[in-house]
Amino acid sequence: MKDLSLVIKLMMAEKKDIFYSVLLGVLAGIGAVGLFAASGYLISISALTPPLYILTIMIAVLQLFSISRAVSRYGERYFSHRATFTMLSNLRVHFYNKLEPLAPRIFHKYQSGDLLSRIVGDVESLQNFFLRVFYPPIVMVIVFLSTIVFTAWFSFSVAIVLILGLVLTGFLIPAFFALRRRRLASEMREKRGELSTEVTEFLYGFRDLKIHQQLASQEEALTTSSEKYIQEQEQSGIHTLYSQSLNQMVSFIVTWSIVAIGAYLVTEGSMEGVFLAMLIMISLTVFEDSTPMAAFPSHYEDSRRATSRLLSVVDDPAEAVQAEETKRNLDTEGAFPIEINNVSFAYEREGRNMLEDVSLSLPAGSKTAIVGPSGSGKSTLIQLLLKVYPVQEGDILIDGVPLNDVSEESMWQGANAVLQDNHFFYGTIRDNLQLAGDELTDEDMEAVLEKVKLHSFSVIDSVLEKGENLSGGEKQRLAMARAMLKGAPLWLLDEPTSSLDTLTEQDIYDQLFAQAEDDTVVLVSHRLTGLERMDQIIVMDRGKIIESGTYEELMERRGYFYELKQIEKSVLM
Amino acid sequence: MKSLKEIASMQRNRVVFIYLISILLGAVIIGQAYFIVTVVDGVFLQDASFQMIWPALIGLIIVFILRAMVTYAHGRTGMKMAAKAKQDFRQSLVKQYVKNPVQASLKGQSGEKVSIMMDSVDEVDSYFSHFYPQKIQSMIVPIMILIAVYSQNVLSGLIMTVTAPFIPFAMAIIGMKTQKKSEEQMEKLAVFSGRFLDTLQGLATLKFFGRAKQQQREIQDSSLNYRDATMDVLKIAFVSSLLLEFISMLGIGLVAIEVGLRLLIYEQLTFFTAFFVLILAPEFYSSLKELGSAFHTGRGSMGAAKKVTAELEDHEQEMEWGSETLTVREEPPTVALDHVSFSYGEDRFTLKNIDATFSPYNQIAIVGRSGAGKTTLLNLLSGLAAPSEGDIKVNGQSLYSYKEKDWFDQLSYISQNPYLFAGTIAENVAIGARGEVSREEVEAACEKAGVAEMVERLEKGYDTPVGEAGRGLSGGEKQRVALARAFLKRPAIILFDEPTVGLDLKTEQILQASIHELAQSATMITVAHRLHTVMEADQILYLEAGELVAKGTHSELIEHVHDYREMVSTQRGGDAG
Repeated sequence: MKDLSLVIKLMMAEKKDIFYSVLLGVLAGIGAVGLFAASGYLISISALTPPLYILTIMIAVLQLFSISRAVSRYGERYFSHRATFTMLSNLRVHFYNKLEPLAPRIFHKYQSGDLLSRIVGDVESLQNFFLRVFYPPIVMVIVFLSTIVFTAWFSFSVAIVLILGLVLTGFLIPAFFALRRRRLASEMREKRGELSTEVTEFLYGFRDLKIHQQLASQEEALTTSSEKYIQEQEQSGIHTLYSQSLNQMVSFIVTWSIVAIGAYLVTEGSMEGVFLAMLIMISLTVFEDSTPMAAFPSHYEDSRRATSRLLSVVDDPAEAVQAEETKRNLDTEGAFPIEINNVSFAYEREGRNMLEDVSLSLPAGSKTAIVGPSGSGKSTLIQLLLKVYPVQEGDILIDGVPLNDVSEESMWQGANAVLQDNHFFYGTIRDNLQLAGDELTDEDMEAVLEKVKLHSFSVIDSVLEKGENLSGGEKQRLAMARAMLKGAPLWLLDEPTSSLDTLTEQDIYDQLFAQAEDDTVVLVSHRLTGLERMDQIIVMDRGKIIESGTYEELMERRGYFYELKQIEKSVLM
Repeated sequence: MKSLKEIASMQRNRVVFIYLISILLGAVIIGQAYFIVTVVDGVFLQDASFQMIWPALIGLIIVFILRAMVTYAHGRTGMKMAAKAKQDFRQSLVKQYVKNPVQASLKGQSGEKVSIMMDSVDEVDSYFSHFYPQKIQSMIVPIMILIAVYSQNVLSGLIMTVTAPFIPFAMAIIGMKTQKKSEEQMEKLAVFSGRFLDTLQGLATLKFFGRAKQQQREIQDSSLNYRDATMDVLKIAFVSSLLLEFISMLGIGLVAIEVGLRLLIYEQLTFFTAFFVLILAPEFYSSLKELGSAFHTGRGSMGAAKKVTAELEDHEQEMEWGSETLTVREEPPTVALDHVSFSYGEDRFTLKNIDATFSPYNQIAIVGRSGAGKTTLLNLLSGLAAPSEGDIKVNGQSLYSYKEKDWFDQLSYISQNPYLFAGTIAENVAIGARGEVSREEVEAACEKAGVAEMVERLEKGYDTPVGEAGRGLSGGEKQRVALARAFLKRPAIILFDEPTVGLDLKTEQILQASIHELAQSATMITVAHRLHTVMEADQILYLEAGELVAKGTHSELIEHVHDYREMVSTQRGGDAG
């Protein structure tokens, strides 16, 4: 039940709808019982040639019950579904909110197809929680109790049998199946997640799968996954059907007992025969409300699993984040100094340190380049500055404040970041650039596109998912344009131009340095050309700073930087 | 693609079984009414003793038990049908996606395709598990009840016959509207899925721009939209069941009044007949009404099925491969580009009229500024995308006259951003091999590709799982994993998108030696970024804005092509020539 408490909490926001659902559900249930009771009585009394007015009254009662039943059923459905789907919508947003602070780390743990299946599929399956688990038992109990009280007027023993029937079909049988189901541990949700993950991977990895002629085996794997999922679905369906049929059978047996007991009482003379038909009709009808209870265990179990799958993503205690409110906001109006002292860092599940005792000073307004082979820790350093990962050892002081105490939002607000993987959203160039600020006009955007040499693009050009219709160089320039539009005082650039030719790169750097004259710039560069203008160059290898200084100093030293420069001369562009 | 009805009738045995079960159900319902009435009539009016009604009571319990069993058998058969149909649909979708050319797989958001594969197919379920069996049942059971009623009391039968047609009529009107609405609903679900996946993947970017909170609003809107679409569909369903409820109440009411009056005033009926009819009337209408709600879900399924079918029919420019065998000879095949042009549909990304011939063991360098069309050319050469005009010739014949498998068996494509599959690093390397490979072979391949040192530094080494799209590895490392795949494969043709990033000294040396080794037994076509690559190339293709501006060796191009000279000299700080 702990898992479901969140769902219940969100559901309680729809109190009014819940109240109406229960009220109207009870009215509809009582209406149905009343209707059939009245018709049974009507027919029996007619056989006894009563005065005509009794017949007229009975017919009027009959019609009243039938109309009230139909109308309240409609209302019940309307309110209960509205409550449910509003709740689902809130739940999705809730899940997104919980997920958001965990990004991008969470992608190391879950694949996005899996996350999608959870937020769409699992949330969707929770609709049954309110509709089939939460309120129907309440309705059922009220309708049953009213019916039993009514029946007790005519025959105490029939009422007892009804109580027995209620306990059996409403509680014992569902409880039995709930237990059994838990033991069976249906893996439907898991199989669905697996299939969804595989489909997503199949679509993203299509090119490489095709080249390696793995499409056929992937097709087979998908088919098997789909089969397994369908099997689980079927099994769970049949299980539900079985419990439903059993429940129906028990309710039939209860009705049969009422027929038998009633008939016996009439032959004994302890009950009037005119009520027998009515009692039988009541019994046949009232169990309509308890048969759905057969589905209760499966829906309950399903909801529980869906919620725990949802929560397991966002409730990872290892991800507990320090409350944001207690953190300091940076003053991001102008450039600020950054001090990095003895920082070491290792990724989760990796034995080796990615950064080893790194110390570095970035005065306000300074221009720093970080160079080194791939895997030397350059990008990690940038990611630490962006608070993608927390500082583990040593400290980073931003404007004198330890980075771990700076609020994420103000850090991001203060930085123009261009990372190696820049995401572009499905939409237009404008949609993607507008991220940098709502106030930006098309003219602003066009001016920046000009600066990054993307004059052939118009803001209305479409961008496909992940920018698939853009070349690597175009994506980088677009990311650069986005950063330029943002205009924050700290630039964190991780190989922002690696796919560009040198000429274009130099042009863009000219634009960058013109705009960032007073800003602090940290540029991770794969290229050594053009670094003459930097205040300092940091050379990294295997997580350590092995050299630092200005371009001239490093060249004179004839150390690692000098050698790198020699290789670069053999690289064409 | 067949209609759902045709798909259902293909499962012949199950359909016949449903018919039989439905007939049994009709009999059981009539029997139930008969026995109840016999008991009540006996003790109420005929003054029968309890012993005398025993046979009817025994009959009743048998009928009751049978009825529960029939319900079970009925439902189970429907589920079996649904399982088969869903599996068939998914299989056809996968087959379709497998056949698509690369550019088609880029079209649209993957989230949408996932949603069709998962949600739409699941939605088809209820047609087979509910609607179709219910349709048969609702055809048979009411008619059997009607016959029973007619045999007892013609007037009640007439009332039922007259009111019943209103039910399918009301359903038909509502059903038409539901289908459209439910298509809209599926559409909105797909849009929601697409947006959500896109947002999830771009969450880091959104956060850096302080947009994550705003995106929350969009997710909320999108989610509420979906809720409203769902409610729209449901509202129709509820109104339809209200309407059906009214019709059946009217019918039952009329029958009750009719039998009541005739019993009491005219004394034309016995209590037995009147009660019998009165018990059967609700069963009659509820069987029709159940069809109503099943009809509704069935319509929803049809909407979903339409979406699946549309996806299945959307096979534009399917890549057709031939049946000729491309025999593996000692030397690599000759590849030629014969007036090849390509456009992505929009004119911006084109290659125009490229002509070139690559002899066996040639080393080809494709050179040009970013956006010149180098990667597109590589995609065409790989057979991942077909040229819009012109032809690619392999050993003098069109590439597409060969079997697809034969071509890809001889080819390795080492792109700058290869996809690493969920699985371990070892598995990702082994995918390059044509058969089973040992761990030693994988390790040797990684050694040659210069990725071994990185892998061995990991805690679990080669058994380290890589995340989706190899998120744990850098771009350069992923490319070297792809290179290791090539070492296992030893292809005749290698397409290589050379890294633009400077690597460390040692890796650079390993990589040069490795590529050199691979090139010994293959034709190597490289999108070149290294000076030594172009200097060693037998032929350089210099591209500018999708056009082949010049062809030749390094020294030829340096001499004759101004732009090429300029490009090379910028990099070398002006000291090369």
